[in-house]
Amino acid sequence: MSERRYALLLVAPAAVVLLGLVGWPVVRLLLDSLYTGSGLTGARRFVGLDNYVDALTDPAIRAAAGRTVVYTVTVVFAELVIGLGMALLFHALGPRSRMLQTLFLYPLMIAPVVAGLLWRFLMIDNFGILNELLYRVGLVDSPAAVSWLSDPDIVLFSVAIPDVWLTTSFMTLVLYAGLQSIAPDLYEAARLDGAGGLRMLRSITLPLLRPVIAVALVIRGVDAARAFDVILVQTDGGPQSASETLSLTVYKTMVTFNDPGTAAAVSTMFMAVMMAVALVAARTLWSDR
Amino acid sequence: MKRALLWTVAGLVVLVYAFPFVYLVLTSLKPPVDAIAVPPTVLPQRFSLDNYRTALAREGVADSFLNSVSTAAITTVLSLALAVPAAWGITRYRTRAGRVLLAGSLLVRMTPAVAIGVPLMGIMGGLRLSDTPTGLALAQTTIALPLAIWLLASFFESVPREIEEAALVDGCSRPAALWRVILPVTSGGLAVTGIFAFLASWNEFLFALLLTSLRAQTTPLAIANLQTQFGLDWGPMTALATLYSLPAVVLTLLLQRRIVAGLSLGAVKG
Repeated sequence: MSERRYALLLVAPAAVVLLGLVGWPVVRLLLDSLYTGSGLTGARRFVGLDNYVDALTDPAIRAAAGRTVVYTVTVVFAELVIGLGMALLFHALGPRSRMLQTLFLYPLMIAPVVAGLLWRFLMIDNFGILNELLYRVGLVDSPAAVSWLSDPDIVLFSVAIPDVWLTTSFMTLVLYAGLQSIAPDLYEAARLDGAGGLRMLRSITLPLLRPVIAVALVIRGVDAARAFDVILVQTDGGPQSASETLSLTVYKTMVTFNDPGTAAAVSTMFMAVMMAVALVAARTLWSDR
Repeated sequence: MKRALLWTVAGLVVLVYAFPFVYLVLTSLKPPVDAIAVPPTVLPQRFSLDNYRTALAREGVADSFLNSVSTAAITTVLSLALAVPAAWGITRYRTRAGRVLLAGSLLVRMTPAVAIGVPLMGIMGGLRLSDTPTGLALAQTTIALPLAIWLLASFFESVPREIEEAALVDGCSRPAALWRVILPVTSGGLAVTGIFAFLASWNEFLFALLLTSLRAQTTPLAIANLQTQFGLDWGPMTALATLYSLPAVVLTLLLQRRIVAGLSLGAVKG
């Protein structure tokens, strides 16, 4: 058997499984998006692109798309700032900080459902420990000062907290690995030229870390945009849909309103936009320096 | 002086990140009434295992642990069995098919689970796999397999070509060289990949929600279902969440170095 044949044989089973379990569902999704009527009653009618028009003109779906962007940017920005800060700290402290690194890593292994419920418990009105602690430290003037999950103005940011808590350490890990691959002589040379810490961060660390930051941002951005369980168990998208992102909208359109056509159309556009944004982001962040 | 400040800042941030889980465990050891006392206290005033008793006595909860274990086991075995040859084919032979598969698995990662979850319901129904651990495991393989391919590809990348060539010269067939020579060399990477595949399934929620009802229900669903018409049953929730998270947290602490290697390798090289 030729080498090419053998190589093809090796990758074929995985390719077939992914085609069957992801490719085929995506095809069915595309087809579903062209029909109207509930899958349960069996009365389906071909409507062309009507579902897409409906979805694009529906203020509720447009609002959910906007919230998805805000949520994703919030999560990724917070993670980048804290994650980069911690990576720089661990790098400066050296191998002796390994114990701290291990402790910092653990949220990564916890189920998003558990994280969501846990934080809902911490932030809940009345007996939530978060407000109580903030009150004791003197940061707020009453234990009922912040209605984390019931105030529509802030809820979108509150539901992002567990997501940030879960995966900041992923950001730290990746950036820390990136930092370790930067040659120490560069800093040595800069120090001889009289550069200070901030200057070195701006002129050496950040530019060299750029490709690594790009990968981490794209991976986390894609994951944050798809967030579902974390939000579902905290607020179910409420109050007044103020924390409903697109994944929840699709789920509700499908399961609660039994409208598979619109749900499929929204999913399709969601998927297409996400791939496009990820590709463009990866390109720009990665290549030009 | 400056170093002491750095240590303090790092320690404080880690403390803030560690607190939620510590508080979860401490709360699970309080009597159920104290878990929702106003004002809340960090340390238990009284010690009790009632939350654990109540949670485990709930219908379906004990079974859900079995379901979680078997679903995650099937997902792990299936993902590794498919990813090992695929990743080796991709890194060793560098054909166009390999590159397509690698790019394809990245695209799969960007597909929102909610988008393919609904069509998968129909497909599993057609295969008569609705509400079974096997059906759920097949769906979760769409998450674990791309991850496993990327991780293993970066591990195989560090295997020198000469190792395989030497085995071939010694009369090994190509599959035997992979199985008997390459895999033992990369057993560490294989273990890390297995752990990630297992956790991807263990912690998964959306497919479990869509594809199972009572029979094959996994524990993340059971935890979310502690919701009653009067609100969530907080005490038992903390107990069940602690039990379910503990294996993963302990595993992290034990295998920290290897997991770090796997994660950063996958992301930095990828």
